[in-house]
Amino acid sequence: MHEHTPSVEGPEPSTHAAEYAAAAKRHRLLGIVKGVLAYAILALFAVIAIGPFLYLLSPSFRQSYELFSYPPDWIPNSLYWDNFKTVLNDTSYLRWGVNTLIFATAVTLITLVIDTMAGYAFARLRFPGRTLLFALVLSTLMIPTAVLIAPLYIMMSNLPDWTHSGVNTFPAMILPMVVSPLGVFMMRQFISTLPEGLVEAARLDGAGEWLIFRRIVLPLMKPAIVVLGIFTFMFQWVNFLWPLVITTTDDMKTLTVGIASLQGQFVTNWGVISAAAVLTMLPVVVIFLVFQKWFVQASMAGALKQ
Amino acid sequence: MADIVVKHLVKRFGKVEAVSDVSLRIADGEFLVLLGPSGCGKSTILRVVAGLEDADEGEIVIGDRLVNFVDPVKRNVAMVFQNYALYPHMTVYKNIAFPLQIAKKSKTEIDAAINKAAGILGLEELLQRLPGQLSGGQRQRVALGRAIVREPQAFLMDEPLSNLDAQLRLQTRLELIELHQRLGITTMYVTHDQVEAMTMGSRIAVMNHGVLQQIGTPNEVYRRPANVFVATFLGAPPMNLITGALEASDGGWRFHGTDVDVRLSSDVLDPATLEHEAEIHGEVSFGLRPEHFRLGAPGEAGGIAGRIEFLEPVGSDLYLTVEAGGTTVQVRTDPETAVAAGENVSLQFDASRVHLFGSDGRNIRKDVPAAATAPAAVPADAE
Repeated sequence: MHEHTPSVEGPEPSTHAAEYAAAAKRHRLLGIVKGVLAYAILALFAVIAIGPFLYLLSPSFRQSYELFSYPPDWIPNSLYWDNFKTVLNDTSYLRWGVNTLIFATAVTLITLVIDTMAGYAFARLRFPGRTLLFALVLSTLMIPTAVLIAPLYIMMSNLPDWTHSGVNTFPAMILPMVVSPLGVFMMRQFISTLPEGLVEAARLDGAGEWLIFRRIVLPLMKPAIVVLGIFTFMFQWVNFLWPLVITTTDDMKTLTVGIASLQGQFVTNWGVISAAAVLTMLPVVVIFLVFQKWFVQASMAGALKQ
Repeated sequence: MADIVVKHLVKRFGKVEAVSDVSLRIADGEFLVLLGPSGCGKSTILRVVAGLEDADEGEIVIGDRLVNFVDPVKRNVAMVFQNYALYPHMTVYKNIAFPLQIAKKSKTEIDAAINKAAGILGLEELLQRLPGQLSGGQRQRVALGRAIVREPQAFLMDEPLSNLDAQLRLQTRLELIELHQRLGITTMYVTHDQVEAMTMGSRIAVMNHGVLQQIGTPNEVYRRPANVFVATFLGAPPMNLITGALEASDGGWRFHGTDVDVRLSSDVLDPATLEHEAEIHGEVSFGLRPEHFRLGAPGEAGGIAGRIEFLEPVGSDLYLTVEAGGTTVQVRTDPETAVAAGENVSLQFDASRVHLFGSDGRNIRKDVPAAATAPAAVPADAE
């Protein structure tokens, strides 16, 4: 049996076999060299990124006097846990942690509410002065925080009593930080990428502005909200300048301010400070790892279009 | 259900007049197609009727109620968008239920309405899916479902088929026609696709540059186009136009152009109008549809001499590109016709098929209604 199949003329046997082998070898070698180079560069950046962290991690497990030995030991001989015990037992570390948690969480939540709503207004509502107002919001990005510290302090410490704010209070700590022009900008940009038709369809379906925002826009903004939330939380978790200015008592300090206060005038226990710093970093690292995939999603926000 | 009346509508975007003095009346239960090239203002009219845009001038009346200042939802019209505009985070069920939930309908009412709509549109199996898991045609049906459950007075459809591939478009077109026959809801349908317009519309309103060019049944606008734009926009290939001038001879009128000299029939063209047109000394256009040419032997009397340039067999028909009358004309003929490129032919035609467009572009045939050639006028029944 010989099945009839349409025949395709095969190529002639190569007359360039030697030339082909040499070219293939060159190609392979070039590939290897390129790969090695790429990894070398990546490794360099990895060292730059991880180095400071290791430099912090190492002393937290060593006794203070070991830190100044020469030549320096990167890897401790044995794990010394007492630094952590000292931090937790002999300082107000836990109290500072709670303060920081309240501070960062409150700032994050309020920021999200304000920024998503402001972003929606700037992206979707038509009102006189919209462009000007938005430019104004963006222009505040150019004002350095340091310039604002003194005026903010004066404002907060002079608020009337019924507001229960003032130096060493949570409202005074939280309020000035909830304004985030960058967040407003991010939210506006994101909402602008959502198809206009969705909002119009909802309007025709009878939804008012608030319903459209809550039932249609907000659920679609989830990736952007998560990213802004994490950014805000991580930034406030390690915020130093404002909490330093607005708190004076030990029980109102945040972690950053508290750790800084562990520096003695004459003697500083670097092991303890390192341990406190490592503990402070942990939650941020965990949050980042958990929500990592959202960052990728948000950067692909355009894909959300139908 | 209700009729929709648009009176002297003007809509501007900045300095651009998107819609200029358009008046329309869509009868109760009618399927009106707004047809025109992109940017002609047809979608704008739809959006103004829906309430998504405000009219700058003119009135919108839906079922005897002036709705210019009525909220979109209270106009009780449902719109189907080109990109479907389904809420991506809601299941099909929730998408369709959304307008009912907002209207604060009870759970049992919502379930009943959705089951009915799903039955009509064949969506029963898909209710728990997300829009992202549906095909284009299914999404289109969900969008229709969301429109149906509101039991609106009218459907407004903005190019609902243009995102579908050719085969699905054909199928969905038939489904839409069937749906309209079944529900009998007044429908305004925007498209730039003439096949959709011809097959779906009870009437077609042809738009260009924000101006209504002609409104009539598909047959009327095809057979008696009001002006050059309508004649060339409808039909594939479009109507052939040969420019030239009018000449009086032997008590009749002749059309005279480059290598063309044909007698005009007084049955379809009023001599008085032709005389008036001749006095203007403007350039007139002789128009004939590709299917109204007949191939004759070279030199045959009464025809237009031409030379075949290209042949385009499409199976059912054979399209010829013929150089004649100082231009190229398209001729539709039988695919069995034995012709070859380069051949000389004489294009024969029935004088009663001829259209003649005056120097202002209007069709001056007797049977073209005058109202249709004056697009700015309000149709008598719209007042």
